[in-house]
Amino acid sequence: MVTYIVRRLITAAFILLGASFVVYILTAISGDPLGELRALNTPNRDQLIEARINLLDLNTPAPIRYFKWLGGAAQCLVPFAGNCDLGRNVTGQPVTEALGLALVQTLSLVTAATVLAILIGVALGIVTALRQYSTLDYGVTFMAFLFFSLPIFWIAVLLKEYGAIGFNDFLRNPDIPWYIAAGIGIAAGLVLAVAAGGDLKRRLTVGAVGFGFVAALLLVASVTRWFTTPGLGIVVILLAGVGLAFAITVLVSGLQNKKALYSGLTAVGIGIVLYFPIQGLLNVATPLMIFILAVVAVLVGVGVGWLWGGYDRGQGMRVGAITAFLVGGLIVLDRFMQAWPSYFNNGKIRGRPIATIGASTPNLEGDYWVSTLDSFTHLILPTVALILISLASYTRFTRSSMLEVMNMDYIRTARAKGATERSVVMRHAFRNALIPIATVVAFDIGALIGGAVITERVFSVQGMGTLFFDGLDHVDPNPVMGVFLCTAVTALVFNLVADLAYSALDPRVRVK
Amino acid sequence: MRFGRISKAVGLAAAAALALSACATQGGGGNSTPEPSAKTGGTVTVAEVNGFTSFNPGTADNNVDINGRIGYATHSNFIYIDNKLNIVKNDKFGTYEKTSDDPLTVKYTIKEGVKWSDGAQVSAADMILSWASGSAYYDSDATTYFTTAADTSGLNLTDFPEIGDDGRTITLKYSKPFADWELAFGTAGNGGIDVPAHVVAKQAGLADADALVDLLKSIPRGAASGDAATLKKVADSWNTGFDAASLPADSSLYLSNGPFIVKDMVPDQSMTLVRNKDYNWGPIPNIDEVVVRYIGEAPAQVQALKNGEADIIAPQASADTLEQLKALPGVTVQTDKQLSYDHLDLNFTGVFAEQDVRTAFMLTVPRKDIVDKIVRKLDPEASPLDSQLFVPAQASYEETVKSNGSADYADVDIDKAKSLLAGKTPEVRIMYNKDNPNRVDAFSLIRESAEKAGFKIVDAGLPKDQWSKALGDGSYDASIFGWINSGVGVTGVPQIFKTGAGSNFNTFSSPEADKLMDELVVTTDKAKQDELQVKIDELIWKSSYGLPLFQAIGVDAHSDKVTGVQYMPNLTGVWWNMWEWSVK
Repeated sequence: MVTYIVRRLITAAFILLGASFVVYILTAISGDPLGELRALNTPNRDQLIEARINLLDLNTPAPIRYFKWLGGAAQCLVPFAGNCDLGRNVTGQPVTEALGLALVQTLSLVTAATVLAILIGVALGIVTALRQYSTLDYGVTFMAFLFFSLPIFWIAVLLKEYGAIGFNDFLRNPDIPWYIAAGIGIAAGLVLAVAAGGDLKRRLTVGAVGFGFVAALLLVASVTRWFTTPGLGIVVILLAGVGLAFAITVLVSGLQNKKALYSGLTAVGIGIVLYFPIQGLLNVATPLMIFILAVVAVLVGVGVGWLWGGYDRGQGMRVGAITAFLVGGLIVLDRFMQAWPSYFNNGKIRGRPIATIGASTPNLEGDYWVSTLDSFTHLILPTVALILISLASYTRFTRSSMLEVMNMDYIRTARAKGATERSVVMRHAFRNALIPIATVVAFDIGALIGGAVITERVFSVQGMGTLFFDGLDHVDPNPVMGVFLCTAVTALVFNLVADLAYSALDPRVRVK
Repeated sequence: MRFGRISKAVGLAAAAALALSACATQGGGGNSTPEPSAKTGGTVTVAEVNGFTSFNPGTADNNVDINGRIGYATHSNFIYIDNKLNIVKNDKFGTYEKTSDDPLTVKYTIKEGVKWSDGAQVSAADMILSWASGSAYYDSDATTYFTTAADTSGLNLTDFPEIGDDGRTITLKYSKPFADWELAFGTAGNGGIDVPAHVVAKQAGLADADALVDLLKSIPRGAASGDAATLKKVADSWNTGFDAASLPADSSLYLSNGPFIVKDMVPDQSMTLVRNKDYNWGPIPNIDEVVVRYIGEAPAQVQALKNGEADIIAPQASADTLEQLKALPGVTVQTDKQLSYDHLDLNFTGVFAEQDVRTAFMLTVPRKDIVDKIVRKLDPEASPLDSQLFVPAQASYEETVKSNGSADYADVDIDKAKSLLAGKTPEVRIMYNKDNPNRVDAFSLIRESAEKAGFKIVDAGLPKDQWSKALGDGSYDASIFGWINSGVGVTGVPQIFKTGAGSNFNTFSSPEADKLMDELVVTTDKAKQDELQVKIDELIWKSSYGLPLFQAIGVDAHSDKVTGVQYMPNLTGVWWNMWEWSVK
């Protein structure tokens, strides 16, 4: 194992060296770094050209410049020495500094999108695999490919037009006329009817219920001015929590494990009891506190499951933990909604909360809730755009992998020996279907850092993509190499991780 | 047993509560929902394309539009340029007077009470540093100390300035008259008082600004002797010491002596300027706060304006952008000509060595069609540019157009061109940037028209990274590319049109024009300068140099919540009168 990793790391180092040389030379010969200056008609043209030549060291041939650069970059390998030197860009800014800033921007943009795309994509993939050739399957496949084939800049511009500008206009006077509510209700009913499956009657019932529920919800929200002063309230949290407890029990252990269901319900109960006491603490929240609270919630859930005991204590603990975490999430969501009016009415927001550019509102002063809401309103559109276009690969990959597993002999065996369908799907099939997906996910995380170039441009996020583009634009290899190093190292590392994960997940594969 | 478990749980809960309260925000408690913050009347948000990089916009590396604009808003100078391209004096900041014509001597005095935002008087030391950085006085062939973006040819004619006893006056003595003396010192980014001497002195390890002045005084021209090592430190501080992508911890790096002062910077996202409370030495701004947001793409700027995230935008102009902007309610769109213009140059060698051939070719150029096709959509009033030296925004444009002979080329005259060619069919290679759609359009129209007169046109267009390298290398006979009129000042004229000058790519040479240009650059009187330029313009046209085609069009747009925004053709952009902006 260790020799395998060492061998892989050594190969990776050589790949990195070779690739960096190629990228450096390609960038350096990709254009004329003095192009914009040559056609100048200012009297100090020659002086400016001279300054640029000195700055980019253009009198040294590119291959030699590469080794100079490599000399500086090699110092990055010495940890904590602080000598890391990746050169400077055309404005004299150290590339290490620019990279640090850009990396933060890019990561905050793509992390949530990637995680959500994986979760939603895998879930949809499994559902479509289980309901192969159903209307739902075709519907999801159609939508996934539709979004996959749309250019992201177009999706992004549309999202900005309707999701931000249109929605903000709506928020100014959030009245939903009955016909709009009915229209949205019909759309929701149709989707539900398609998704429901079963015979026509069942579908119609589900669709009608969905239509009624959604339309009524919208009308109530409109009448009660829910969009200006949103909130869940303890009743909704209770109802949603109980629903969640049942759903999670179904997935994790099956409803026949009463103790598991009880631990889930107990977790909901604890959450409801704590709802009012915890508000005071939440008012002074910090990110660290939210994290600790999340951990505490999970621990409490585990504890509840353990206390309920039963023949399969582990399942109860799992149900308790997941339910407690989600109920905690609902309480936090409710607190965010409570902060909404003060965010919405903040002078810097000007009553237009959903943003089309950047990562935060300049000079916004507010507590944890307001500033986090601000991040959400800025991140929501790029995140949705990224999710929509990356959903297809996860959905399709999970679907095919799941289908393949579901046709395996051991699934038939599992069914034959009387395992419940839940147990077959969740325990026998799903876990094994995840193995190939792990590889895809690892690759995607590797590609994540350099992968959102266009989204960055459209939403004016000055991340890695912008750094890369600007570098190429000025025929300046230094920033390009900085971006290259980051993406290449992550890609190589995650490749290795993918291989190791593969061997860990699949007992048939062994690294040697 | 049972009891023990519960008490443990209680203990654990207590410990957790303690830990949680320890990480709570300070001073919280009660209902934290903050009261809606007071609507600070007077914030204007401006969208900028480029990210801010340095508090010293005068260095060659950081000579980016945004740095200049922030510098302009946070600094005062003896003059500024208005949007009619006039030099406007700011007497409240300081005064300058020409005390002698021969030798040209200019005395600069800063008003008492003009202060940096740390309270220090803006002094002669600041002017000396500005002079040192913009004069290339200490540079030799081997070493460049201050890497300035400014044209050093003017201040390089001066000797070390004489410093007045009040510590606020310096006197520059030019070894020969210099036409652009008013611009050589005291404009932002070009010998402006942008960098505080006392901060540079501290960075270079000197005691104070006086020590810096003493150091600079002790070093002779070319820095052949004296403490060159410390000079290097001073220059390094000036060159890179003020570079900052995020707000420096050291507030002395962003001292202001102008209407606004930097309050906050979010790297690559935004920048906030607030009113400089001390400032009373110049036009006083109406608004309290300017927020700059960096938005690179034009459609994103338009949508940000629509969504109220930006109040003023100046996107890269295209017909689509303009259409979108015009469709927005509550938005004022301003379009006008920029100082950059496209032009067709004919080489004075090869096929165009003969003037008749050049004239014939010029007669075939459909300038009106080119304007119609390329800029009409952006500016319904666009017309071909009719002067090589002036733009219509300048007062002398009309006068020069009357006499320079451009009228001969107002319309295409194929017959006259044919008769000048007398049956010849010269082969003309036209070089242009193939990746610039405007240039491609211009080329196509010219080719079509010229072929009617019998010219054989060869497409010598090159990709964007190669065409500028080809300038002046003889691989083409005619070229289409862009130049930027400086708007003010005349030292740019010989750079293009003088025999053998750096940007004279078509080997144009006219001894008579050379003589006039020699006179021009030493003429300090504006009226006389214009007179000379009109003559030079005429000589250039008479020698069938080539043709200016059209000026690029700039677009800015602002929400109707903001008033006082006016179009500006030069690089300062809408910022030029930011003190007149106000919020409804």
